[in-house]
Amino acid sequence: MNIPADTIPSVKADRKIKINSELKTEFLKRYFRVVHGLFAVLILIQFLPDKLTTDTYTSYVIWFAVGVEVITIIFSALIKKIGSLNLFTDIVAFIYGFLILWTLATAKFNLLKAALFPPPGKVFWQFVDDYDKILVNIQSSVGIILQGYLLALIIAIPLGLFLGWNARLGSSATYISKFLGAIPPIVYIPYGIALLPTFKSVSVFVIFLATFWPVLSGTMSGVMNVEKKTIDSAKVLNVGKFTMMFSVILPASLQQIFIGCNQGLTVSFVLLTSAEMIGAQSGLGYYIKNYSDFGDYTRTIVGLIVVGIVIVIISFVGTHRYIVVEIT
Amino acid sequence: MSKIEINHLTVDYTEKKKSFTALKDVSFSIEEGEFVSVIGSSGCGKSTLLSILEGINTPTDGEILINGEKIKGTGTDRGVVFQHYSLFPWMTARKNVAFGIKQVNHSASRSERYKIADEFLDKVGLEQFKNKYPSQLSGGMQQRVAIARALAMDTDILLMDEPFGAIDAKNRTILQELLLELWESATPRKTVVFVTHDIDEAILLSDKIVMMTANPGRVYRELKVPFDRPRNRSELVQTKEYNQFRNNLLLLFYSDIADKIGGEEVVL
Repeated sequence: MNIPADTIPSVKADRKIKINSELKTEFLKRYFRVVHGLFAVLILIQFLPDKLTTDTYTSYVIWFAVGVEVITIIFSALIKKIGSLNLFTDIVAFIYGFLILWTLATAKFNLLKAALFPPPGKVFWQFVDDYDKILVNIQSSVGIILQGYLLALIIAIPLGLFLGWNARLGSSATYISKFLGAIPPIVYIPYGIALLPTFKSVSVFVIFLATFWPVLSGTMSGVMNVEKKTIDSAKVLNVGKFTMMFSVILPASLQQIFIGCNQGLTVSFVLLTSAEMIGAQSGLGYYIKNYSDFGDYTRTIVGLIVVGIVIVIISFVGTHRYIVVEIT
Repeated sequence: MSKIEINHLTVDYTEKKKSFTALKDVSFSIEEGEFVSVIGSSGCGKSTLLSILEGINTPTDGEILINGEKIKGTGTDRGVVFQHYSLFPWMTARKNVAFGIKQVNHSASRSERYKIADEFLDKVGLEQFKNKYPSQLSGGMQQRVAIARALAMDTDILLMDEPFGAIDAKNRTILQELLLELWESATPRKTVVFVTHDIDEAILLSDKIVMMTANPGRVYRELKVPFDRPRNRSELVQTKEYNQFRNNLLLLFYSDIADKIGGEEVVL
């Protein structure tokens, strides 16, 4: 076939333009978003004159916003799926929008009571200023959780395996654990304070209870729901009792056990912060309660945000851990 | 003395106060190194019979002797392949096989077990899938792993409960030939009890076919399969003898059903 010589380069050029324009729209889709407009607005309004007479720490808001914006741009380049990118930028846009309203309502127009509603800059400043104190309190809270949580796992999992495997014990134990598990662990606190020497040990005890029942019921129902064909195929391999329990029943019911563990972990933190507000001398609950008693609502807000962050991280770790069980 | 002797086996199930006889006075014997298929329509108790051989169920009456000894529960002398893929989903193919080996051979080290496992996975053609989990394998591949595990355990007796029943026609053919080849090439040959409802499968594989009938489950006929080994499916199915034998078997199969629905016995 004879192709006129001059058509070939023009086709090529056409294609090049087409690719270029595709790249351009792709680039615009990725980087030309409402979120960046909101960022600009947020920065610009910081330069309006303050109506609030106390220090508003405007530079902290700017630094925070710039930091978030840098992360957003990096993520815009890294996240491949447009859907996930939309989700991410929408969340950031929400944060910017919230900060804009907050700045305007407090620092710039002073519409709200300054003692109850500190400007955003002050909260950021407080966060940086109290950094080490917050860390100590996180450490204290997480330490108590780990003690109570691990203790509960160590006792509840083997007990659940044993009870679940013994059909008769298991069915009665299910009802008993349903009853005891229904009692909110926090109501044990007054009795716990009478029983145990320190408030810390009471907290550990409450966490223990909060974790113990969900993990025990999870393990028992996991064991009782192991498929008959799994048990039969282990039986015909002639496995011993120990192997049956730890190499067959345990891994087969792991899914359910994890559900119990996650439930326990999230509830634990919620409970602990509540418990700390009652009588503790450290911890995040104490931090919030203590400063709100003194009318320091900037620190109260900081505490609330930290509790939110820690719980999100804990439940994220809880649901995304990937444990490969290597039992031979 | 036969390898396996089944003596007057009776099994009654009681469900919701209703008693149901799954097996009634079943007796036959299996020689060492013999491949025996148990066939019959569903509900004839062939799987119940096998579950007692496996040691998962206990009979109401009668007994099974292996090497002259009465069986009590499961044993390391029997390897089992179920219809529904019986692999452990949290172990890779290799681990599943190695786990089986460990139960019969406690002295083997982990690397020795893996070596044996690899050898048998090679034999069933799964060289490239050793580190895959059962969920990553097709039904046919999972059944290959189950066969590899049963063979790697190196038991005297192999019990197979409709092992290819849930596999598509093409793969079933391939697996039947694989099993035939592995069994015929082994020395000494293993004693196999193979439950199936597929007549062609039974003829191709077995030395003896035990035909069972339902309500209550009992032995209807025992037939020797008169074809020389090693067998080749494509050659075998073309012979006149094969077709004659198959037709006889089918007639028996249907006459049994005719009995059930009240018809007259077909005279052969």
